[in-house]
Amino acid sequence: MTIGASFVNDNPCRPRHFKPPPCAPVVPAGPAWKALEACRTRLFFTSVLFACVFAAVALRVVEIVLLAGGTAQSHMPRFRIPLPPTPARADIVDYNGRLLATTLDSPSVYANPKQILDPADATRKLLKAFPNLNADEVYIKLTSGKSFVYIKRRLTPREQYEVNQLGVPGVQFQHEERRVYPDGALTAHVVGYTGIDNAGFAGIERGLDDTLTNRRDPLQLSLDLRIQYVLREELQRVIDDFTAKGAAGLIMDVNTGEVLSMVSLPDFDPNHPGASDPEHPGISLADRMFNRNTLGVYELGSIFKIFTVAMALDYGTSTLASTYDASHGINIGRFTIGDYHGKHRVLSVPEILMYSSNIGAAKMAMAAGGQRQREFLARLGLLKTPKIEVSEIGAPHFPGKWREVNVMTIAFGHGISVSPLSFASAAAALVNGGVLRPATLVKLPPGYAPPGQQVISPKTSEQMRKLMRLVVEHGTGTMAAAPGYVVGGKTGTADKVSGRHYAEKKLLSSFVGVFPINDPKYLVLTMVDEPHPNKQSHGYATAGWTVAPATSRIVQRIAPLLGVQPVDESSPEIQKALMVESLQGRRVENY
Amino acid sequence: MIRLGTLFWLVLVSATGFAMFGVKYQVQALEDELARTRRATMAEEHEIRVLDAEWAYLTRPETLDTMNRRFVSLAPISTKQLHVTVADIPMRPAPPPPLPILAPVETAMAAAEPTPAPNALPETAEGAPTHTLSQPAPVQGTSEPPSTRSALRAMPALLEKPAAAQLAKVVPAKAVARPSPSRRAKSLDDLIAQIMTNR
Repeated sequence: MTIGASFVNDNPCRPRHFKPPPCAPVVPAGPAWKALEACRTRLFFTSVLFACVFAAVALRVVEIVLLAGGTAQSHMPRFRIPLPPTPARADIVDYNGRLLATTLDSPSVYANPKQILDPADATRKLLKAFPNLNADEVYIKLTSGKSFVYIKRRLTPREQYEVNQLGVPGVQFQHEERRVYPDGALTAHVVGYTGIDNAGFAGIERGLDDTLTNRRDPLQLSLDLRIQYVLREELQRVIDDFTAKGAAGLIMDVNTGEVLSMVSLPDFDPNHPGASDPEHPGISLADRMFNRNTLGVYELGSIFKIFTVAMALDYGTSTLASTYDASHGINIGRFTIGDYHGKHRVLSVPEILMYSSNIGAAKMAMAAGGQRQREFLARLGLLKTPKIEVSEIGAPHFPGKWREVNVMTIAFGHGISVSPLSFASAAAALVNGGVLRPATLVKLPPGYAPPGQQVISPKTSEQMRKLMRLVVEHGTGTMAAAPGYVVGGKTGTADKVSGRHYAEKKLLSSFVGVFPINDPKYLVLTMVDEPHPNKQSHGYATAGWTVAPATSRIVQRIAPLLGVQPVDESSPEIQKALMVESLQGRRVENY
Repeated sequence: MIRLGTLFWLVLVSATGFAMFGVKYQVQALEDELARTRRATMAEEHEIRVLDAEWAYLTRPETLDTMNRRFVSLAPISTKQLHVTVADIPMRPAPPPPLPILAPVETAMAAAEPTPAPNALPETAEGAPTHTLSQPAPVQGTSEPPSTRSALRAMPALLEKPAAAQLAKVVPAKAVARPSPSRRAKSLDDLIAQIMTNR
């Protein structure tokens, strides 16, 4: 320790201009040197202390990272608190809150082949989780050298769990969502379906796409799943019994316009919209996706006569006592208008509706005139495209020039095509006191009836109720009677247009029923496409034999669900309420 | 040697330091907990969604219809069954006045044999036990403390043993000493309510 003290000035070889750099002061041995020595000792101990602390820290790091495994993870999330999940597409529920469509997490599993150490082992493990995959394909994918290959898309929660259990490095999940329709085909045409990126492709999913993406609460429909099931089952029965091509049905609350059920057959599974139906491979996908209630427009035939009669009564061009000669057909141009089962005599207005006389209806319409007829149909909303929440809506077809022959054919429902939905709204207005309300598939607050438009007088509406009851009591629709529920309605059997002609053998049978007709609550519209006669129907495929009995069954099944109390139909109050004055005292001839 | 002021400040600084670190760790712990809870909530929510969907799938009208045909064969309500409304059904007649002499005997008997009354009549007379003179209600599952038996398990027992279906007329609900009367279904409605809450 004496070096420092000696060498500063004692170097004889030191160049003259060189000055030694400033250095620690040279302390001669003495008390100062002692103090320095103490200082060094302290420094030494302090550094030992620090070294110990750092060693402790280092050991702790080694322990956390290498030895303690998973516990280190619990310290990780400190820096990223997960936010509440982004709102998924809103659920769709039915009138009673039952789930119709929901969004579930459905991750896809993908692999990064660059990170996979042992492709053969990974393939074996993955096949344990997905026995349906092809082993060769998976192996090729895993050895492809890319950095992203899908193993399987849209896993179920169970599959996800199993892949997690495998613990193959390089296999990861990609977050994806998937729309699930628990009821499948039952509500397919109403609810619709979504594409792979969850954008609405059809039905409510498309019609209310914006609403569904922007809200969190479920969207509640006016559709009642139980009633939907009954309607679908009964329509399927009609199709099976009469080997028909298709069928459609609609149940509506006549006082609010809420659609309780809407079925179009054949249908499809919205969970797999592109898949073919294993039971009916012959039916095309386009046919199954086609919503006959809203997109299809049809010449509905005789059920249109209720509009002819209502028009004549409302304009006052006919009364219930008016009579028209239906003994001979009408020849106009190359057409002859005749009756299907003609009475060949003079018929009163109630009889024209009861026996569904084409001649009588044509004459009534002619008496009112084409101007009034067109105006009346426009007032009922039958000449414009209806509005409803689903995206598939068909525009009506009607003649641009309203000639005499058109007036006559439109009087019994030919030469004008409307969608069943339009028809149901207009028919509801005829019986509910004359107020036309827009049809809706979204549940309205209880007790609320949307503002409507008075299209016919309440008196005409009352007369129409009586006449429709008469059709079921004595006319063409006797098989639609449901004891206790006072059904009123009208049958319609139309010849289908094929090319430029009407095809005699191809029918479109329909029935519009309202119950209880003395205090209308619900409307049931059923339609069957190309029914064929069977043994039970004695060779008939008309509405009275096909959809009228179905309506009876539907009403008897759904009325208890809807809380409609059955009444005694022969009680004096009901009889009095539905009595047609002009027929009083006369014997009513059954159809 | 060290001035008192310096000492004071040193103590203050270290105290503040400790306090700050303490608060910081507390906050971190809370944040951890928040993150954990959020993640758990999300997982639960997702679970609920899956279960909801599964419930909807398992209770499709189609499935229920098939099961109905296989097991219970219920039919739609016919018009005939609906001729009488709820309003038309007369109220239950008032119970007969209690017999004062028999009352203690009945009480003792009933207390000695704890009888489950899943569909016992609703209590009519408060306080005084009502009873008739038929046989005591069947005894079932006495070895098991009633509190451990859930309503769900009481249900099959009710269905299996026809004797239990003979309404436990005897049981004065008030007189039987029960450890946890709230767990027992007093009527079918209570039973259903319990099933709903247990679910």
